[in-house]
Amino acid sequence: MHRKYTRNILWIVPMVILLLMTACTPRSDSSEQRADGKVEIDFWTFWGSETRRPIIEKIISDFNASQDRIIVKHTYLPFGDIWTKNLAAVAAGNPADVIINDYANVNLRASKNQNTNLTPYLQKDNIEANFYPELWKNVLYNNEAYALPFNTDTRMLYYNKTAFKEAGLDPNHPPQTWAELEEYAQKLDKKSGDTYQQVGFYPLWGDFGIDSWLINGDNGQGYFDDNNQTTINTPGKVDTLKWLLSWQDRLGRQTVDAMKAEFGNGQSDAFISGKVAMYIQTGTYNTQLEEFGKDLDFGVAPIPERESGSGHWSSGGGFVVEIPRGAKHPAEAWEFMKYLTGVEAQKYWAIKNFDNVANMEAAQDPEANQNPVYKASVENLESTKLFPIPLSAPDYKNLINPHMDAVLLGKETPEQALAAAQQDIQNLMAQNTK
Amino acid sequence: MKATIGHKRPKLSKLARQEERQGYMFILPWLIGLFGITLFPMLFSLYASFTNYDVTSRMDFIGIDNYRRMFSDDPLFWTSLGNTLYYVVWMVPLTTIGSVLLALLLNEKILGMRFFRTIYYLPAVLSGVGVYFLWMQLLSPTSGLINTLLSWVGISGPAWLSDPVWTKPAIILMKMWAVGGGMLLYLASLQGVPSQLYEAAKLDGASVFRRFWHITLPMISPVIFFDVVTSFIGGFQVFQEGYVMTESGNGGPMNSLLFYNLHMWHKAFTVFDMGYAMGMAWVLFVIVLVLTLINMKLSRRWVYYEGDDQ
Repeated sequence: MHRKYTRNILWIVPMVILLLMTACTPRSDSSEQRADGKVEIDFWTFWGSETRRPIIEKIISDFNASQDRIIVKHTYLPFGDIWTKNLAAVAAGNPADVIINDYANVNLRASKNQNTNLTPYLQKDNIEANFYPELWKNVLYNNEAYALPFNTDTRMLYYNKTAFKEAGLDPNHPPQTWAELEEYAQKLDKKSGDTYQQVGFYPLWGDFGIDSWLINGDNGQGYFDDNNQTTINTPGKVDTLKWLLSWQDRLGRQTVDAMKAEFGNGQSDAFISGKVAMYIQTGTYNTQLEEFGKDLDFGVAPIPERESGSGHWSSGGGFVVEIPRGAKHPAEAWEFMKYLTGVEAQKYWAIKNFDNVANMEAAQDPEANQNPVYKASVENLESTKLFPIPLSAPDYKNLINPHMDAVLLGKETPEQALAAAQQDIQNLMAQNTK
Repeated sequence: MKATIGHKRPKLSKLARQEERQGYMFILPWLIGLFGITLFPMLFSLYASFTNYDVTSRMDFIGIDNYRRMFSDDPLFWTSLGNTLYYVVWMVPLTTIGSVLLALLLNEKILGMRFFRTIYYLPAVLSGVGVYFLWMQLLSPTSGLINTLLSWVGISGPAWLSDPVWTKPAIILMKMWAVGGGMLLYLASLQGVPSQLYEAAKLDGASVFRRFWHITLPMISPVIFFDVVTSFIGGFQVFQEGYVMTESGNGGPMNSLLFYNLHMWHKAFTVFDMGYAMGMAWVLFVIVLVLTLINMKLSRRWVYYEGDDQ
């Protein structure tokens, strides 16, 4: 009897391990039939902050209350983890039903079977016309949609009206062209000895990088055209790089590096602290200004254009909502996605966050547009371009950026850098399409 | 045991058999760990490195194409390998010498030594992303502490993290700050050096330097060897510094902080080229293996093991 007992005890060890292993696997489907007959679907977001979490959870509970078939459960995952976890979950065959994902690479994920083709649902309800065309273009893979646009952003020129008055500039007339921008910037510079008290403008501070300027200065054309041909080495881009260099030459690279390293967030933000008089930022930068820059008298304007008529091109990004491949309840997920990108939910998101939403009707809703910065950002969307990412060069940035750095460091001329970058990207594309 | 090789295993008694079974049962968790969590994934990645595996859609055998691309088509492979080698070649000797010197200083018998030991060990306790953010502030070109100190002696410091010439030295400098961990090992082994050796040498009139060279160094050489091998391997794993201390992990100005593992990570998780990334992992494994074997071979010439030649 006793011997038998010990033998049984021994089997407990592997049993416990097995149990632990099964317990550690994420619940395989949370979306079983519930007792009340409703279908529960799992929704992954990275919106866990004090501001965003209540907003998205209100939208979810509104949806749950709006019908009696589907219950959405919100799962918050940190921004750094969510998409790698999603990748693992898709590979394991038990992903969430709906996820917020990066606008970039919708096509790459589609080509890798990571998200679900929405064509069958769109054939039943075509909601394409609800969204900004530029955003819709981004969710297509082989001309079929694999995600719905959720939100987006756009970059604008914020300028300090008080500084404008001090410099004798009209605070109601922000610079329209690159020439005006330079002229204003020089008037706004304040220098004592070798150090700047205030820099009028430096194009690469703020949230508008070289890639954005290359769109702005090349008639809205990014590194790739609509047919995924490289448009890197163009005269417009060469001139833009030269122009960017001229700013660095004027201030001096050391000043640029040194000042940039001093800029922080909140009170020590470049624009809020008054170190920079004109600054490019997204529409939601407004919330920082409201929190930390209450006394700041500022205006917003579109990004200046290269020359009159070339276009105030800006750049944007954003997030999409998609159904991971292998989700258990795609039909229910679609219902929820439609709600999430519908007028009501998008309007609520816009009003609460001052974030640009993908639904055009919601974006233009008068209530949110009472805020002048938000209104300006909605208008700015008309001339905002996303960065298209060709399937054959998903990591193009790693090859282009070093050349751009080299230009600013004086190690390559704009002509050399753009020619070399174009060559590198074409090699990469050739490798990937072989 | 030797005698049983080549012979049939002697028949075990019932009790012995049962004990054997029980023994296996007890080590089962570790066996599962070894086979399930280490060996199987390793073999899987070895196989997958010969495929175009992307986790979710395909896994077709493509022969050595990943390896061919690595060596002939991917300029960033060489950039990242070069960055990593640069880092290892400087970091390993500097931190080793640094921690030996520090241990020697902290082995002196003066007042308040415990306090100094604590102070110098402290940075080794801190780790992770917080330290990197701290250092990004210390390395700030105008207001950072490093350049402020340099300016006191008349040097105008570089823009550490924005000038590609200085980014890797900055990271190595940051590693030097945390030599306290290695120092502790050396301190322990320094205190194990028998004092009669020093006494005898002193009677023979050996200078401080000769005593260090002929007694201290050989006596602590096994620890130096251990430290060199582990920091060598650790050095090749450098990743976080490039990921955290550059804008959105892009590898820094002119890819100067694009370390091997960072490039591999981008290939695996940004563009889902998992087969290629696994191939890269195996190349790194082979590089580290070969270098470690060379290390072990060379160690016979300079590592002194008391009593036993191992």
